Amino acid sequence: MSTVSMTVNGKVVASVVEDRTLLVDFIREHLRLTGTHVGCDTSQCGACVVHVNGKAMKSCTMLAAAADGADVTTIEGVANGDLHPMQKAFNDNHGLQCGFCTPGMIMSGIDMVNRYKAEGKTLDEAAIRAELEGNICRCTGYHNIVKSIQQAAGEM
Amino acid sequence: MGLQNGYFRPTSVDEALDHLAANDLTIAAGCTDLFPATEQKTLGGPVLDISGITALRGFRKNETGITIGATTTWSDLIAAPLPSAFGGLKLAAREVGARQIQNRGTLAGNLCNASPAADGVPPLLTLDAQVVLASKAGRRVMPLADFLIGPRQTARRADELLEGVHIPASALMGDGQFLKLGARKYLVISIAMVAARLVIADGVVAEAALAIGACGPVAARLPKAEAALVGQPMDPGLINASHLQGYLAPIDDMRADAAYRTTVATELVQRILGRFAESRSA
Repeated sequence: MSTVSMTVNGKVVASVVEDRTLLVDFIREHLRLTGTHVGCDTSQCGACVVHVNGKAMKSCTMLAAAADGADVTTIEGVANGDLHPMQKAFNDNHGLQCGFCTPGMIMSGIDMVNRYKAEGKTLDEAAIRAELEGNICRCTGYHNIVKSIQQAAGEM
Repeated sequence: MGLQNGYFRPTSVDEALDHLAANDLTIAAGCTDLFPATEQKTLGGPVLDISGITALRGFRKNETGITIGATTTWSDLIAAPLPSAFGGLKLAAREVGARQIQNRGTLAGNLCNASPAADGVPPLLTLDAQVVLASKAGRRVMPLADFLIGPRQTARRADELLEGVHIPASALMGDGQFLKLGARKYLVISIAMVAARLVIADGVVAEAALAIGACGPVAARLPKAEAALVGQPMDPGLINASHLQGYLAPIDDMRADAAYRTTVATELVQRILGRFAESRSA
Protein backbone atom coordinates (compact mmCIF):
# COMPACT_ATOMS: atom_id res chain seq x y z
CA MET A 1 0.00 0.00 0.00
CA SER A 2 1.16 3.52 -0.57
CA THR A 3 -0.17 7.02 -0.18
CA VAL A 4 -0.82 8.90 -3.37
CA SER A 5 -1.59 12.55 -3.48
CA MET A 6 -2.65 14.58 -6.48
CA THR A 7 -4.84 17.48 -7.50
CA VAL A 8 -8.08 16.33 -9.08
CA ASN A 9 -10.39 18.97 -10.53
CA GLY A 10 -8.64 21.64 -8.47
CA LYS A 11 -8.81 19.83 -5.15
CA VAL A 12 -5.91 18.13 -3.43
CA VAL A 13 -6.78 14.50 -2.72
CA ALA A 14 -4.77 11.87 -0.90
CA SER A 15 -5.57 8.24 -0.43
CA VAL A 16 -3.89 5.02 0.59
CA VAL A 17 -4.11 2.61 -2.32
CA GLU A 18 -2.77 -0.75 -3.34
CA ASP A 19 0.43 0.11 -5.20
CA ARG A 20 -0.68 -1.15 -8.55
CA THR A 21 -4.08 0.56 -8.57
CA LEU A 22 -4.85 2.03 -11.96
CA LEU A 23 -5.55 5.74 -12.14
CA VAL A 24 -9.04 5.07 -13.48
CA ASP A 25 -9.86 2.84 -10.50
CA PHE A 26 -8.49 5.46 -8.15
CA ILE A 27 -10.74 8.07 -9.76
CA ARG A 28 -13.84 5.88 -9.85
CA GLU A 29 -13.53 3.75 -6.72
CA HIS A 30 -11.62 5.97 -4.29
CA LEU A 31 -12.85 9.40 -5.36
CA ARG A 32 -16.25 8.13 -6.56
CA LEU A 33 -15.95 10.26 -9.69
CA THR A 34 -17.73 7.85 -11.98
CA GLY A 35 -17.99 10.11 -15.00
CA THR A 36 -14.73 8.62 -16.25
CA HIS A 37 -15.72 5.32 -17.82
CA VAL A 38 -13.97 2.02 -18.42
CA GLY A 39 -14.89 0.59 -21.79
CA CYS A 40 -12.29 -1.88 -22.98
CA ASP A 41 -9.73 -1.96 -20.13
CA THR A 42 -7.03 -2.40 -22.77
CA SER A 43 -6.25 1.22 -23.70
CA GLN A 44 -8.09 1.15 -27.00
CA CYS A 45 -11.56 2.66 -26.63
CA GLY A 46 -10.78 6.00 -24.96
CA ALA A 47 -13.80 6.09 -22.61
CA CYS A 48 -11.36 6.62 -19.71
CA VAL A 49 -9.53 9.68 -21.10
CA VAL A 50 -8.61 12.29 -18.49
CA HIS A 51 -6.12 15.14 -18.55
CA VAL A 52 -2.88 14.65 -16.62
CA ASN A 53 -0.84 17.83 -16.35
CA GLY A 54 -2.86 19.20 -19.25
CA LYS A 55 -2.39 16.24 -21.58
CA ALA A 56 -4.99 13.66 -22.60
CA MET A 57 -4.19 10.21 -21.32
CA LYS A 58 -5.99 6.92 -21.00
CA SER A 59 -6.41 6.48 -17.27
CA CYS A 60 -6.76 2.70 -17.61
CA THR A 61 -3.16 2.51 -18.76
CA MET A 62 -1.64 4.51 -15.96
CA LEU A 63 -0.94 3.78 -12.32
CA ALA A 64 -2.42 6.08 -9.72
CA ALA A 65 1.03 6.15 -8.12
CA ALA A 66 2.54 7.38 -11.39
CA ALA A 67 0.18 10.36 -11.14
CA ASP A 68 1.43 11.21 -7.65
CA GLY A 69 1.83 14.98 -7.51
CA ALA A 70 0.09 15.49 -10.84
CA ASP A 71 -2.75 17.80 -11.79
CA VAL A 72 -5.64 15.68 -13.04
CA THR A 73 -8.85 16.88 -14.68
CA THR A 74 -11.82 14.56 -15.21
CA ILE A 75 -15.13 15.18 -16.98
CA GLU A 76 -16.55 16.38 -13.65
CA GLY A 77 -13.99 19.18 -13.58
CA VAL A 78 -14.37 20.79 -17.00
CA ALA A 79 -17.52 22.85 -16.33
CA ASN A 80 -16.98 26.16 -14.58
CA GLY A 81 -20.45 27.00 -13.34
CA ASP A 82 -21.83 26.86 -16.87
CA LEU A 83 -21.19 23.91 -19.13
CA HIS A 84 -17.81 23.89 -20.87
CA PRO A 85 -18.17 24.93 -24.56
CA MET A 86 -17.32 21.34 -25.53
CA GLN A 87 -20.09 19.96 -23.31
CA LYS A 88 -22.55 22.52 -24.67
CA ALA A 89 -21.58 21.64 -28.24
CA PHE A 90 -22.21 17.92 -27.63
CA ASN A 91 -25.60 18.91 -26.21
CA ASP A 92 -26.43 21.27 -29.11
CA ASN A 93 -25.44 18.76 -31.80
CA HIS A 94 -26.68 15.62 -30.12
CA GLY A 95 -23.11 14.36 -30.14
CA LEU A 96 -24.01 11.16 -28.36
CA GLN A 97 -26.27 8.19 -28.62
CA CYS A 98 -25.92 5.84 -25.64
CA GLY A 99 -23.49 8.28 -24.03
CA PHE A 100 -20.97 5.77 -22.73
CA CYS A 101 -18.05 7.11 -24.78
CA THR A 102 -19.04 10.76 -24.29
CA PRO A 103 -16.83 11.68 -21.30
CA GLY A 104 -13.76 10.41 -23.14
CA MET A 105 -14.85 12.10 -26.38
CA ILE A 106 -15.24 15.43 -24.58
CA MET A 107 -11.88 15.13 -22.82
CA SER A 108 -10.15 14.24 -26.11
CA GLY A 109 -12.08 17.01 -27.88
CA ILE A 110 -10.90 19.65 -25.40
CA ASP A 111 -7.34 18.37 -25.66
CA MET A 112 -7.27 18.53 -29.45
CA VAL A 113 -8.78 22.02 -29.62
CA ASN A 114 -6.30 23.32 -27.03
CA ARG A 115 -3.39 21.67 -28.78
CA TYR A 116 -4.28 22.95 -32.25
CA LYS A 117 -4.82 26.45 -30.87
CA ALA A 118 -1.46 26.41 -29.09
CA GLU A 119 0.24 25.29 -32.31
CA GLY A 120 -1.70 27.80 -34.41
CA LYS A 121 -3.14 25.06 -36.62
CA THR A 122 -6.66 24.78 -38.02
CA LEU A 123 -8.74 21.95 -36.61
CA ASP A 124 -10.89 21.08 -39.63
CA GLU A 125 -13.18 18.10 -40.06
CA ALA A 126 -10.45 15.86 -41.46
CA ALA A 127 -8.14 16.73 -38.55
CA ILE A 128 -10.89 16.02 -36.00
CA ARG A 129 -11.59 12.63 -37.55
CA ALA A 130 -7.89 11.76 -37.52
CA GLU A 131 -7.46 13.02 -33.94
CA LEU A 132 -10.40 10.90 -32.79
CA GLU A 133 -8.54 7.70 -33.61
CA GLY A 134 -8.12 6.89 -29.93
CA ASN A 135 -11.81 7.19 -29.06
CA ILE A 136 -14.31 4.60 -30.15
CA CYS A 137 -18.09 5.10 -30.27
CA ARG A 138 -19.82 1.75 -30.38
CA CYS A 139 -23.03 3.39 -31.54
CA THR A 140 -20.97 4.74 -34.47
CA GLY A 141 -22.31 8.22 -33.83
CA TYR A 142 -19.19 9.90 -35.14
CA HIS A 143 -20.90 12.35 -37.46
CA ASN A 144 -22.46 14.42 -34.68
CA ILE A 145 -19.40 14.01 -32.46
CA VAL A 146 -17.29 15.61 -35.20
CA LYS A 147 -19.88 18.39 -35.61
CA SER A 148 -19.83 19.00 -31.85
CA ILE A 149 -16.05 19.33 -31.71
CA GLN A 150 -16.11 21.62 -34.77
CA GLN A 151 -18.62 23.90 -33.04
CA ALA A 152 -16.65 23.96 -29.79
CA ALA A 153 -13.42 24.66 -31.67
CA GLY A 154 -15.01 27.89 -32.87
CA GLU A 155 -16.11 28.87 -29.38
CA MET A 156 -13.13 27.89 -27.23
CA MET B 1 8.04 2.25 -0.28
CA GLY B 2 9.58 -1.12 0.52
CA LEU B 3 9.65 -4.50 -1.12
CA GLN B 4 6.51 -5.63 0.67
CA ASN B 5 4.70 -3.10 -1.44
CA GLY B 6 6.07 -4.54 -4.65
CA TYR B 7 6.17 -1.12 -6.25
CA PHE B 8 9.14 1.24 -6.52
CA ARG B 9 9.14 4.67 -8.11
CA PRO B 10 12.70 5.99 -7.87
CA THR B 11 13.64 9.50 -8.90
CA SER B 12 17.22 8.75 -9.92
CA VAL B 13 18.96 6.17 -12.12
CA ASP B 14 21.27 5.13 -9.26
CA GLU B 15 18.30 4.39 -7.05
CA ALA B 16 16.68 2.38 -9.86
CA LEU B 17 19.87 0.35 -10.37
CA ASP B 18 20.01 -0.41 -6.64
CA HIS B 19 16.51 -1.84 -6.81
CA LEU B 20 17.32 -3.86 -9.94
CA ALA B 21 20.45 -5.31 -8.33
CA ALA B 22 18.50 -6.41 -5.26
CA ASN B 23 15.21 -7.64 -6.68
CA ASP B 24 13.63 -9.35 -9.66
CA LEU B 25 11.46 -6.55 -11.02
CA THR B 26 9.27 -5.76 -13.98
CA ILE B 27 10.28 -2.37 -15.33
CA ALA B 28 7.42 -0.03 -16.18
CA ALA B 29 7.64 3.32 -17.98
CA GLY B 30 4.49 4.42 -19.86
CA CYS B 31 2.79 1.10 -19.05
CA THR B 32 0.90 1.17 -22.35
CA ASP B 33 2.05 -2.32 -23.32
CA LEU B 34 2.43 -3.67 -19.83
CA PHE B 35 -1.20 -3.64 -18.74
CA PRO B 36 -2.82 -5.09 -21.86
CA ALA B 37 -0.19 -7.86 -21.79
CA THR B 38 -1.22 -8.97 -18.28
CA GLU B 39 -4.91 -9.28 -19.18
CA GLN B 40 -5.54 -8.56 -15.50
CA LYS B 41 -6.73 -5.59 -13.50
CA THR B 42 -3.37 -5.10 -11.85
CA LEU B 43 0.20 -6.02 -12.60
CA GLY B 44 1.45 -9.26 -11.13
CA GLY B 45 4.79 -9.18 -9.31
CA PRO B 46 6.94 -6.31 -8.10
CA VAL B 47 7.28 -3.32 -10.38
CA LEU B 48 9.99 -0.70 -10.90
CA ASP B 49 8.26 2.38 -12.29
CA ILE B 50 10.89 4.59 -13.95
CA SER B 51 8.44 7.30 -15.03
CA GLY B 52 9.56 9.48 -12.10
CA ILE B 53 13.19 9.68 -13.25
CA THR B 54 13.13 13.07 -14.97
CA ALA B 55 16.81 12.84 -15.98
CA LEU B 56 15.89 10.03 -18.38
CA ARG B 57 13.41 12.13 -20.33
CA GLY B 58 14.42 14.07 -23.41
CA PHE B 59 17.21 14.41 -25.93
CA ARG B 60 20.92 14.98 -25.49
CA LYS B 61 23.09 16.04 -28.38
CA ASN B 62 26.87 16.05 -28.60
CA GLU B 63 29.56 15.39 -31.19
CA THR B 64 28.99 11.61 -30.98
CA GLY B 65 25.32 11.87 -31.91
CA ILE B 66 21.90 12.18 -30.28
CA THR B 67 20.75 10.19 -27.25
CA ILE B 68 17.06 9.71 -26.51
CA GLY B 69 16.35 9.11 -22.82
CA ALA B 70 14.42 6.02 -21.78
CA THR B 71 11.28 7.80 -20.55
CA THR B 72 10.96 10.06 -23.59
CA THR B 73 7.41 9.67 -24.90
CA TRP B 74 6.22 9.42 -28.48
CA SER B 75 4.64 12.88 -28.12
CA ASP B 76 8.02 14.26 -26.96
CA LEU B 77 9.56 12.73 -30.06
CA ILE B 78 6.92 14.20 -32.39
CA ALA B 79 7.40 17.68 -30.90
CA ALA B 80 11.21 17.64 -30.78
CA PRO B 81 13.29 19.57 -33.31
CA LEU B 82 15.36 16.74 -34.79
CA PRO B 83 17.32 16.29 -38.06
CA SER B 84 15.26 15.07 -41.04
CA ALA B 85 16.99 11.71 -40.73
CA PHE B 86 14.50 11.21 -37.87
CA GLY B 87 11.57 11.70 -40.28
CA GLY B 88 10.76 7.99 -40.30
CA LEU B 89 10.87 7.72 -36.52
CA LYS B 90 8.54 10.73 -36.19
CA LEU B 91 6.06 9.19 -38.64
CA ALA B 92 6.22 5.92 -36.68
CA ALA B 93 5.58 7.84 -33.44
CA ARG B 94 2.30 9.10 -34.90
CA GLU B 95 1.24 5.53 -35.65
CA VAL B 96 1.72 4.20 -32.11
CA GLY B 97 -1.76 3.92 -30.62
CA ALA B 98 -3.41 7.33 -30.58
CA ARG B 99 -2.46 10.68 -29.03
CA GLN B 100 -3.41 9.59 -25.50
CA ILE B 101 -1.08 6.59 -25.82
CA GLN B 102 1.65 8.69 -27.45
CA ASN B 103 1.48 10.95 -24.39
CA ARG B 104 2.36 8.01 -22.10
CA GLY B 105 4.16 5.37 -24.14
CA THR B 106 7.92 5.52 -24.46
CA LEU B 107 10.38 4.61 -27.19
CA ALA B 108 12.47 2.55 -24.76
CA GLY B 109 9.39 0.63 -23.65
CA ASN B 110 8.64 -0.17 -27.27
CA LEU B 111 12.13 -1.69 -27.57
CA CYS B 112 12.09 -3.64 -24.29
CA ASN B 113 8.62 -4.96 -25.05
CA ALA B 114 10.26 -6.44 -28.17
CA SER B 115 7.17 -7.04 -30.24
CA PRO B 116 8.06 -8.10 -33.80
CA ALA B 117 5.51 -5.45 -34.83
CA ALA B 118 7.04 -2.60 -32.76
CA ASP B 119 6.70 0.48 -34.97
CA GLY B 120 9.74 2.18 -33.45
CA VAL B 121 12.22 -0.51 -34.42
CA PRO B 122 12.56 -0.28 -38.24
CA PRO B 123 13.19 3.50 -38.22
CA LEU B 124 15.73 3.08 -35.41
CA LEU B 125 17.51 0.34 -37.37
CA THR B 126 17.88 2.76 -40.30
CA LEU B 127 19.43 5.22 -37.82
CA ASP B 128 22.01 2.61 -36.71
CA ALA B 129 20.57 2.94 -33.20
CA GLN B 130 22.46 1.63 -30.19
CA VAL B 131 20.99 0.94 -26.77
CA VAL B 132 22.68 1.99 -23.55
CA LEU B 133 22.23 -0.58 -20.78
CA ALA B 134 23.08 0.48 -17.24
CA SER B 135 23.60 -1.65 -14.16
CA LYS B 136 25.53 -1.47 -10.88
CA ALA B 137 28.40 -3.13 -12.78
CA GLY B 138 28.57 -0.25 -15.27
CA ARG B 139 27.28 0.57 -18.70
CA ARG B 140 27.39 -1.27 -21.99
CA VAL B 141 26.36 -0.12 -25.42
CA MET B 142 25.15 -2.49 -28.12
CA PRO B 143 23.55 -2.15 -31.54
CA LEU B 144 19.76 -2.34 -31.42
CA ALA B 145 19.99 -5.19 -33.90
CA ASP B 146 21.87 -7.26 -31.29
CA PHE B 147 19.63 -6.14 -28.42
CA LEU B 148 16.50 -7.59 -30.04
CA ILE B 149 16.85 -11.36 -29.93
CA GLY B 150 13.36 -12.58 -30.76
CA PRO B 151 9.67 -12.03 -30.07
CA ARG B 152 9.46 -10.54 -26.54
CA GLN B 153 13.15 -11.35 -26.00
CA THR B 154 16.02 -8.91 -25.55
CA ALA B 155 19.65 -9.06 -24.46
CA ARG B 156 18.85 -7.00 -21.35
CA ARG B 157 19.97 -8.71 -18.16
CA ALA B 158 17.53 -8.66 -15.24
CA ASP B 159 19.73 -6.19 -13.35
CA GLU B 160 20.00 -3.79 -16.28
CA LEU B 161 18.02 -0.71 -17.19
CA LEU B 162 17.74 0.48 -20.77
CA GLU B 163 18.86 4.02 -20.09
CA GLY B 164 18.70 5.49 -23.55
CA VAL B 165 18.89 5.04 -27.29
CA HIS B 166 21.89 6.53 -29.04
CA ILE B 167 21.91 7.57 -32.69
CA PRO B 168 25.50 7.95 -33.88
CA ALA B 169 26.47 11.14 -35.69
CA SER B 170 27.28 9.09 -38.80
CA ALA B 171 23.58 8.15 -39.14
CA LEU B 172 22.17 11.67 -38.87
CA MET B 173 22.48 12.38 -42.58
CA GLY B 174 19.70 12.25 -45.15
CA ASP B 175 15.92 11.95 -44.87
CA GLY B 176 13.90 9.32 -43.04
CA GLN B 177 10.56 7.80 -44.04
CA PHE B 178 8.18 5.24 -42.55
CA LEU B 179 5.29 3.32 -44.09
CA LYS B 180 2.95 1.01 -42.24
CA LEU B 181 0.39 -1.41 -43.57
CA GLY B 182 -2.54 -2.24 -41.29
CA ALA B 183 -6.04 -3.59 -41.73
CA ARG B 184 -7.37 -0.05 -41.24
CA LYS B 185 -5.91 3.40 -41.11
CA TYR B 186 -5.91 4.13 -37.38
CA LEU B 187 -5.13 2.41 -34.09
CA VAL B 188 -3.88 -0.77 -35.64
CA ILE B 189 -1.04 -3.23 -35.21
CA SER B 190 1.13 -3.49 -38.29
CA ILE B 191 0.79 -6.30 -40.81
CA ALA B 192 4.13 -5.09 -42.10
CA MET B 193 6.05 -1.84 -42.06
CA VAL B 194 9.15 -0.40 -43.67
CA ALA B 195 11.51 2.41 -42.81
CA ALA B 196 14.07 4.09 -44.99
CA ARG B 197 16.82 6.65 -44.56
CA LEU B 198 18.45 7.82 -47.75
CA VAL B 199 21.17 10.29 -48.54
CA ILE B 200 20.61 11.50 -52.08
CA ALA B 201 23.19 13.77 -53.69
CA ASP B 202 22.66 15.18 -57.19
CA GLY B 203 19.87 12.69 -57.77
CA VAL B 204 22.08 9.72 -56.97
CA VAL B 205 21.68 7.58 -53.85
CA ALA B 206 24.84 8.08 -51.80
CA GLU B 207 23.74 6.15 -48.75
CA ALA B 208 20.76 3.84 -48.15
CA ALA B 209 19.37 2.29 -45.00
CA LEU B 210 16.22 0.15 -45.29
CA ALA B 211 14.50 -1.91 -42.63
CA ILE B 212 11.39 -4.06 -42.47
CA GLY B 213 9.24 -5.00 -39.47
CA ALA B 214 6.54 -7.54 -38.64
CA CYS B 215 7.94 -9.86 -41.32
CA GLY B 216 10.08 -12.00 -39.04
CA PRO B 217 10.82 -12.61 -35.35
CA VAL B 218 12.64 -9.28 -35.22
CA ALA B 219 12.75 -6.32 -37.58
CA ALA B 220 15.70 -6.42 -39.96
CA ARG B 221 17.80 -4.27 -42.24
CA LEU B 222 17.71 -5.11 -45.93
CA PRO B 223 21.38 -4.94 -47.01
CA LYS B 224 20.84 -6.43 -50.48
CA ALA B 225 18.21 -3.84 -51.33
CA GLU B 226 20.39 -1.08 -49.87
CA ALA B 227 23.32 -2.18 -52.04
CA ALA B 228 21.10 -2.21 -55.13
CA LEU B 229 20.24 1.47 -54.56
CA VAL B 230 23.63 2.99 -53.73
CA GLY B 231 25.31 4.73 -56.64
CA GLN B 232 22.14 4.68 -58.75
CA PRO B 233 19.71 7.45 -59.63
CA MET B 234 16.72 7.14 -57.24
CA ASP B 235 14.27 4.66 -58.77
CA PRO B 236 11.89 2.40 -56.78
CA GLY B 237 11.97 -0.03 -59.73
CA LEU B 238 15.53 -0.97 -58.76
CA ILE B 239 14.07 -3.18 -56.03
CA ASN B 240 12.31 -6.47 -56.61
CA ALA B 241 11.43 -9.50 -54.48
CA SER B 242 14.88 -11.05 -54.92
CA HIS B 243 16.47 -8.22 -52.91
CA LEU B 244 14.35 -9.15 -49.89
CA GLN B 245 14.86 -12.88 -50.17
CA GLY B 246 16.58 -14.32 -47.11
CA TYR B 247 15.64 -11.40 -44.90
CA LEU B 248 11.98 -12.26 -44.39
CA ALA B 249 10.61 -14.98 -42.12
CA PRO B 250 6.97 -13.98 -41.69
CA ILE B 251 4.37 -15.94 -39.77
CA ASP B 252 0.69 -16.62 -40.34
CA ASP B 253 -1.39 -14.86 -37.73
CA MET B 254 -4.75 -13.17 -37.27
CA ARG B 255 -3.55 -10.08 -39.13
CA ALA B 256 -2.23 -11.71 -42.31
CA ASP B 257 -0.67 -14.89 -43.60
CA ALA B 258 3.00 -15.31 -44.41
CA ALA B 259 2.49 -15.35 -48.17
CA TYR B 260 0.67 -12.03 -48.04
CA ARG B 261 3.36 -10.48 -45.88
CA THR B 262 6.06 -11.67 -48.28
CA THR B 263 4.21 -10.11 -51.20
CA VAL B 264 3.51 -6.77 -49.55
CA ALA B 265 7.06 -6.45 -48.22
CA THR B 266 8.46 -5.73 -51.69
CA GLU B 267 5.50 -3.50 -52.51
CA LEU B 268 6.03 -1.46 -49.34
CA VAL B 269 9.73 -1.01 -50.05
CA GLN B 270 8.94 0.21 -53.56
CA ARG B 271 6.27 2.58 -52.23
CA ILE B 272 8.49 4.09 -49.57
CA LEU B 273 11.23 4.63 -52.15
CA GLY B 274 8.60 6.26 -54.34
CA ARG B 275 8.22 8.94 -51.69
CA PHE B 276 11.89 9.87 -52.11
CA ALA B 277 11.52 9.88 -55.88
CA GLU B 278 8.47 12.19 -55.55
CA SER B 279 10.14 14.62 -53.18
CA ARG B 280 13.13 14.81 -55.51
CA SER B 281 11.04 15.70 -58.55
CA ALA B 282 8.81 18.08 -56.55
